[in-house]
Amino acid sequence: MQRSAIAKLALAALGLSIVASAASAQDKIRIGYAISKTGPFAGGAGVTTLPNYQLWVKDVNAAGGITVAGKKLQVEVIEYDDRSNSEEAVKAIERLATQDKVDFILPPWSTGLNLAVGPTFNRLGYPHLAVTAATDRAPEMAKRWPNSFWFLGASKPGADALAEVLRKLKSEGKIGDKVAMVSVSDAFGIELATAARAAFKAAGFNLVLDKSYPIGTQDMQPLLKDAMASGADTFVAFSYPPDTIAISDTAKVLGYNPKVFYTAVGTAFPLYKQKFGANAEGVLGVGGWNVDSPALKAYFKRHAEAIGREPDRWASPVTYVSLQMLQQAIEKVGKIDRAAVIKELQTGTFDTIMGKIKLADNIMPIVWWVGQWQDGEFVGIAPTKYEGAKPVRFPKPNWKQ
Amino acid sequence: MLLLDIVLSGLVLGGMYALIAMGLTLQYGVARIMNLAYGEFLVAAAFLAFWMFTGLGVSPLVGLVVAVPLAYLANWAIYRVLLVPLVNRAKTQGQLEVDSILATFGLLFIVQGVALVLFGGQYYSYGYLSIPVSILGTTVALNRLLALLFAAIIGVGLYLALTRTRTGTAIRAVAVSATAARLVAIDVRTASAFAFALGGALVAAGGILVSMFLTFNASMGVIFTMKALIVVIMGGVGNLLGALVAGLILGLVETAVARLLDPGLTLAATYLIFLAVLLVRPTGLFGVAAR
Amino acid sequence: MNMRHAPWLALGFTLLLMVAGLPLIASGYVLAVAISMLSFTALAAAWSLFSGPTHYISLATVAFFGIGAYTAAIGGELMPWPLVLVVAGLVGVAVALVVGLSTLRLSGIYFVIFTFGLTELVRQLVTWYEVNIKGTVGRYLFLDIPQAVIYWQLAVLTGAVLLIAWLISRSRLGLAARVIGEDETVARHAGIDTTWAKITLFAISAAFMSVTGAVMAPRWTYVDPAIAFNPMISFQVVIMALLGGTGSLWGPVLGVVPLVLLFEFLTANFPNAFNILLGAVFMTIVYFLPRGVVGLVQDWWPQPVRMPAVTAPRIVDDAVLAVNGLGKSFGGLVAVHDLSFRVEAGQIVGLIGPNGSGKTTVLNMISGALKPDTGSIHLCGRRIDGLLPDRVATLGIARTFQLVRVLGSMTCRQNVEPAIAFRARPSSGNALDETADTLLARVGLAAAKVHMPASQLTYIDQKRVELARALALEPKLLLLDEWLAGLNPTELEEGINLIDSMRREGLSIIMVEHVMDAVRSLCDHCIVMNAGRLIAAGQTTAALADPEVVRAYLGGPDA
Repeated sequence: MQRSAIAKLALAALGLSIVASAASAQDKIRIGYAISKTGPFAGGAGVTTLPNYQLWVKDVNAAGGITVAGKKLQVEVIEYDDRSNSEEAVKAIERLATQDKVDFILPPWSTGLNLAVGPTFNRLGYPHLAVTAATDRAPEMAKRWPNSFWFLGASKPGADALAEVLRKLKSEGKIGDKVAMVSVSDAFGIELATAARAAFKAAGFNLVLDKSYPIGTQDMQPLLKDAMASGADTFVAFSYPPDTIAISDTAKVLGYNPKVFYTAVGTAFPLYKQKFGANAEGVLGVGGWNVDSPALKAYFKRHAEAIGREPDRWASPVTYVSLQMLQQAIEKVGKIDRAAVIKELQTGTFDTIMGKIKLADNIMPIVWWVGQWQDGEFVGIAPTKYEGAKPVRFPKPNWKQ
Repeated sequence: MLLLDIVLSGLVLGGMYALIAMGLTLQYGVARIMNLAYGEFLVAAAFLAFWMFTGLGVSPLVGLVVAVPLAYLANWAIYRVLLVPLVNRAKTQGQLEVDSILATFGLLFIVQGVALVLFGGQYYSYGYLSIPVSILGTTVALNRLLALLFAAIIGVGLYLALTRTRTGTAIRAVAVSATAARLVAIDVRTASAFAFALGGALVAAGGILVSMFLTFNASMGVIFTMKALIVVIMGGVGNLLGALVAGLILGLVETAVARLLDPGLTLAATYLIFLAVLLVRPTGLFGVAAR
Repeated sequence: MNMRHAPWLALGFTLLLMVAGLPLIASGYVLAVAISMLSFTALAAAWSLFSGPTHYISLATVAFFGIGAYTAAIGGELMPWPLVLVVAGLVGVAVALVVGLSTLRLSGIYFVIFTFGLTELVRQLVTWYEVNIKGTVGRYLFLDIPQAVIYWQLAVLTGAVLLIAWLISRSRLGLAARVIGEDETVARHAGIDTTWAKITLFAISAAFMSVTGAVMAPRWTYVDPAIAFNPMISFQVVIMALLGGTGSLWGPVLGVVPLVLLFEFLTANFPNAFNILLGAVFMTIVYFLPRGVVGLVQDWWPQPVRMPAVTAPRIVDDAVLAVNGLGKSFGGLVAVHDLSFRVEAGQIVGLIGPNGSGKTTVLNMISGALKPDTGSIHLCGRRIDGLLPDRVATLGIARTFQLVRVLGSMTCRQNVEPAIAFRARPSSGNALDETADTLLARVGLAAAKVHMPASQLTYIDQKRVELARALALEPKLLLLDEWLAGLNPTELEEGINLIDSMRREGLSIIMVEHVMDAVRSLCDHCIVMNAGRLIAAGQTTAALADPEVVRAYLGGPDA
């Protein structure tokens, strides 16, 4: 009695997708992803990842599809919600690969989820374009899972880029050697803070405040009062979106006006500009882009039209780039051969909205680490060697009430 | 100076905690509904405020006038339609607790799902009254100060209303024992519906006030539910004054730990204080012995 | 019990065989779903071990799960894998003991939220330690354990939890837990060491949760506090267990399997409306399946009823109580002051006085519910004041309550059995049922009512059940707190005869009573109290005629 009921339910659960997959002849290309639509990661995934998946599919299909062996194949999407949960994410990848039999799988959002699904991507032989995963162990991961590609770099170059900007300002006599640094107690904040300690020391800075705070802290006033009391004229926060907003807002209320004000994730979100308006001017943050690039400008415009809001200025264009690379790799290979696509991604050069990109050891070469709101746009500042890098504007204007 | 700074910032933060907890203490303490969807209603109110402010240009404080009666009616309807069947069915208080946990868990998903469909998963934030106010040489944000004031007014006001009026006495009687209240001719169902709806109105007020300074998204409800639960339990279930005091204590402790010890330990300190209070007073600061 | 479990056991065994072979034929996805099912079954069954019978709803599941996951992340590359699992279980037990001992005073919602707060505290402390001491937050765990192996580990683990749960449900521990869930006070007075029972169950349950966490961790490569201590896991486990129904061994399975499939079905087919649909399905279940899936099953599968066997009662022993200088105050109120009296073997002593004179307080001190401030109590020469109620009960003092306390949802027989299982000379197995039925017959309960839930009985029958439970302890001394109050004249007559017959069998009794006719006809001696003090003692007729007694009664506020 029990078993048959359970079996029926099980069949019902699995049935629909089996039926769906049987119908697929190769007149389209099936691409699947599981993304955090709910749960704590929904905020990040909803800004950076999901809109770009949607935009890319729309762009590709509007252009006729992906060309495989001379034939244009439309992209068909299968979409799931991983509910910000590692186990759900793993399960969803299995479902996409073995039930839906999709041709390619796009990654989830966040470092943790990308690491969780890494072994599964690897075992199933799908290319893994880990875009929103910032980990110091990216080179090691790329070796362990040659099918994985890492796009947001590691904390050391990030901290070095920031230190480079600050050192220049110091050498020009614009700021002193005191830095106040706070960081969120999550892998991202901690790794960056650890790297920054070394980088700042090497650049001759003195950390007068170095504190971490838990995720979900709702009152930033104590932290900022300590920062004010520290006498540093450079403030650096390796923060997450809600904290970035709260830190900036509290700094404004307290009238805390250091000459350099840097907040991390979220600074490059359109939300930041919308909330702070002219007050955003001069704020430094993670991300940035080459504002002179027509391709990127066109991308911004398309994004705003298709999604109804602007993209964030950090990982959004990178996400789009990763998808362009996937498309071009498939077209170059000329068939749905995942092993060959992986090889192509490892070795090929791709023409993207961020220019010509060739991965080095599976790692994205261009990662903007410092950007700044200048005249209502979040422009790339450092690393300064990148095309389109602008000089930093100094000092940050005082907050206006 | 540092001390004054800690006390003021702590009170302001604590005011917010108390504010978001007061509705729950009424809903759980009087109506006996363990409302897991509580935080979702708070977030819904925050979205309403956001929409009114950015879409219609209505100030959140004006929005309160609209939203609070609306929330009262909505929660009254939820109680009458969804929860009364559970109340009638439950033979014991324990069973009602289990049933209400399960039912409101379902409600949580529905409210969150609707918010996701309407607003998507991303973060929202707007600025209102984010201007500095100087008190005794310490700066605090006006919107946060306002939340503290509202918490104090609601907490003390409702406490007086509950202790000094006939209706209030009836509600307190129901909170102590529904069975006994019935014996003295108190209409328990009406009193419970009233308490649940009033709790819902309070959470709407809380949601609108905190939306002026917090960044929120559709998935954040559970964070508020949990914070509210901690405050309610620490203060003693059903006791508004308890919720106010517990909220303020948590705010003070968090601020003091952040300034004097290590910001990384603030939340740990919160839970430590909470656990310590319960170990010394198993039914909360102002709770009466349950058994 | 055996008969009832047999078909389940067979079904379980078949299922287990099917379960074991699954990885050989299933695709990666089916295996992933099966892993989900097994891990939640293990967690829900472990949760039900403690929370099911005791009704203490714990939200600490993920604290133990996370501790296990972290143990695996830390030790995974240092120790052989089986050792990692053992260590994870031990760490879980250690934490559970600390937690268990600190939460003893809490009950109801306070316990629920405490366990939640505890989880968050553990998570915050782990984070702080990792950030400040280790300088990182996430831990990488590169163990190439294939899905199938994780699956098999979980299958064995789930089997182990269910087996342990089954063994416990048949043991004294399981019985104790059920009584605690119904009424903790009754449990103590029935001779159950509630502290020991709760902590043992909590620790066993925690051990399994921790091992589950350790088994699952390698699947994710990366463990950080947000992943390991995700509070949603605790909620899901509670929901699944409650949905299945906690009263039965298979409840967790019946809750987990449909829910995991439902989650999968909704996730796979309605990714955008998942939340709304899940919520709607959920509420439907609550409104239309109030007793969980188990309730549904039990409706089709009626429980067998067996007729009791009757043997002769056996309730006699020497009993002497000596109370000396007993005193107790509550704040400024002196409830009992310097009270001394003796109860001889086979004697019925009446304890009378106006309301509020301290009679029940005296009974509470004798039975161990209250600790006296001054004085001593000796039972057959052994000092017992200050001992916990369960200890006093096993030493030979049984009691009834002024407001009758039966375990409402348990049958009459189940009400009596715990006392038989936990008394100084416990019985078990079939003897348990027989003894219980004998006692119920002895106190005059109709045999047909033995399997009725106690809440459905009439008042007098509930009193009978309570009395049978007291007698089941084989007491030397019986404390009756207004046992005759509220009976109609016929019932009163029966009650008096019943008590009289117990005395004739040699039992000593202290009865607090307002029914003066009963006091006159039953009691050899009387102790009269007023405002916490002894005002008269001696032969019943003489004591009742004492002028001070007359004054106390007539002058009292509500005599």
